[in-house]
Amino acid sequence: MAKRLLLVSLALVLVISLSALTVAGANFKIGVVTGTVSQNEDEYRGAESAIKKYPGMIKHVTYPDNFMNEQETYIAQITGLASDRDVKAIVINQAVPGTVAAIRKVKELRPDIIFVVGEPHEDPPLIEKYVDVSLIPDNISRGTTIVELAKKMGAKKFLHYSFPRHMSYQDLSSRRNIMKETCAKIGLEFVDVTAPDPMGEGGLPAAQQFILEDVPRQVAKHGKDIALFSTNCGMQEPLIVAALQTGAIFPEQCCPSPTHGYPGALGLEITDAMKGNFPAISDAIEAEIVKRGGAGRFATWPAATGYLHTTAGVDIAKRAVEKTINIKDAAAIKQLVEVSSGNKALSFRKRSNNGNFYMYIFDSIIFGGK
Amino acid sequence: MPEKVPAQSANTPNAQTQAHAHAHVNTKKIGAVLGKNSVPIFFLLLSIGGIIAAGLDINYLINELLGRLGRNSFLVLSLLIPIIAGLGLNFGIVVGAMAGQAALIITTHYGWTGLGGFGLAALISVPIAMVLGWLTALVLNKAKGREMVTGMILGFFANGVYQLVFLVLLGWVIPMKNPAIMLPSGIGLKNTIDLFDISYALDRGLDFIWDGFIMTEVGSIPIGPWRIPILTLVVTALLAWAISFLIRTRLGQQMRAVGQDMHIAEVAGINVNRTRTVALVISTVLAAWGQLIFLQNIGTMNTYNSHEQVGTFAIAALLVGGATTRKATIWNAIVGVLLFHTLFIVSPLAGQKLLGIPQVGEYFRVFLAYGVIAVALALHAWQAKVKSNKELRGE
Repeated sequence: MAKRLLLVSLALVLVISLSALTVAGANFKIGVVTGTVSQNEDEYRGAESAIKKYPGMIKHVTYPDNFMNEQETYIAQITGLASDRDVKAIVINQAVPGTVAAIRKVKELRPDIIFVVGEPHEDPPLIEKYVDVSLIPDNISRGTTIVELAKKMGAKKFLHYSFPRHMSYQDLSSRRNIMKETCAKIGLEFVDVTAPDPMGEGGLPAAQQFILEDVPRQVAKHGKDIALFSTNCGMQEPLIVAALQTGAIFPEQCCPSPTHGYPGALGLEITDAMKGNFPAISDAIEAEIVKRGGAGRFATWPAATGYLHTTAGVDIAKRAVEKTINIKDAAAIKQLVEVSSGNKALSFRKRSNNGNFYMYIFDSIIFGGK
Repeated sequence: MPEKVPAQSANTPNAQTQAHAHAHVNTKKIGAVLGKNSVPIFFLLLSIGGIIAAGLDINYLINELLGRLGRNSFLVLSLLIPIIAGLGLNFGIVVGAMAGQAALIITTHYGWTGLGGFGLAALISVPIAMVLGWLTALVLNKAKGREMVTGMILGFFANGVYQLVFLVLLGWVIPMKNPAIMLPSGIGLKNTIDLFDISYALDRGLDFIWDGFIMTEVGSIPIGPWRIPILTLVVTALLAWAISFLIRTRLGQQMRAVGQDMHIAEVAGINVNRTRTVALVISTVLAAWGQLIFLQNIGTMNTYNSHEQVGTFAIAALLVGGATTRKATIWNAIVGVLLFHTLFIVSPLAGQKLLGIPQVGEYFRVFLAYGVIAVALALHAWQAKVKSNKELRGE
């Protein structure tokens, strides 16, 4: 036992003797927490662009890939950022479960830190209470806009691919119901198809295989003027491939972005010069789609939401720390989001008056549809 | 030690041999201590390397470690009794964690707050954990010699049952209405439950005496801010005392006998299955309490995932502390929590600093976290082999 005690005290002495290192630099820093590229490439690239835009100001860390199980680590990443006295604001994208716990822990010692989050996973009424600004696409309203866009692109029917696990998510199942109602209202036939769950036994490959096989079947049955939509990220690439082959319509991904599904499906190489340059990426996609005869049948949002949440989040945080904007001013936040994305928001609304939880929609670009 | 040899006799041949033999024994002894503690020493070196590489604020590290010591020690200690009883590493503590969470859901639903609410949750979790521990024992007694893998799979199975109960049956078969913690459809719980009502209930239970906050300066070196979870550490120390007391009782001796050799214990008139059941029930109840302590510190509950990795991480910490599947002490648990969590705090930053790319920190951490478990197991296997070789040679 004496030896064990010695071992413990030895460890402590060594730890303490490596005295604190404080880095002096700009007058303040902004912490940025994103996923790794294996989780979501857009949010990570957004942080890279913020680092380039504000050199020396950004401290970038990543949350665990296995974030559902490693909450302790996730919280430690955020409290670790806050332990740096120079960090005055923290941008978290995506705000995975554990965010509220982490913010509470930070606020105990650092009540001054400003939090801006993108894509919160936890319960919105809870998030609203603790976060200074939250940004998320307006998924419920997209139930209407996607169907209307499909009609505009010439669809007569609307196909919705999903599976029970996703349909137990409140937002996703409400959106499906709104899509169905909107279809009935504007005269589209709604087709509901259950696909295999990518988290099931076959994994993602089985789900993707199903999409590649099922789309030709559905097009043979319903005709070419059918719009395809799926709630799952992994299914977007095969959907685009199958839509190109069969001539069907693809109005929007589950998470709208030029970089989601399109580059993979079209075999486009995103060069270093193109990274983060969404107009250039969109132009390359458009050229490829027109070449393959899909003009006017494919669309998406002009900027990636994952990317935007990081870049706009940093812009908002920086100005809030500098006190050049009022963090509660919805118009100022909207303007910063629009400037950061380079596009006008179709709608930008607050979830409730209990906080600053913003939901937005961007206008779509239809490739080759001018 | 040579200097103890009287100076006047240092030149006599007899004294020289004695001194020589003494020194030889000493190096051998140091070697044995090092060999026996090779696992914690290896991780200590790794941690120190990580701290240097990460260039981390030491005050932050200490504060974080204090929090994690309070948060995790109880859970790790809950693993000891099954090891003594020869059941190996109890991956079944996941089931105990679920019992703790079920109790918390009940107290949150009724809005019981503070230390009282926490105590009530601890009380409610006991019968649930006892039943689950008994069921675990039923299965593990049928799978003697394969307890670890059976326990792990049992944890997966129990997770399915947990989801069924709280995602489907609650609000449908089990009547409950509470929009604050349930999904808007009225069936199933939300994925996060706010535990604000009982957050820090135990950690800060002694705040009326002293809040455990340290922030001062020694010379020009800043000390703090640290926050010591006093009552949690007191409770953990009590548990450690209770375990060492239990080992010395008749029941504890029976557990040891069963752990050493089930057949001999059986012949000696010990009811092996009953002893193993008692060990598992105690472990499961302790795990339920451990999970309560963990969650009151975190402050929110990830309804469907908080319990999943409890077993893996607690076991990894214990192994890092130098425990084996057959022998574990309280010191293994405490040293293990300190070293394992130092690595967890330091490794993402170290990876990032060393390679200059933020996401590499995450990959580095995952590599380390799961790598340590493999290395710890391999080192134990190596030690066991060395020992059995020695025994074969009759040393």
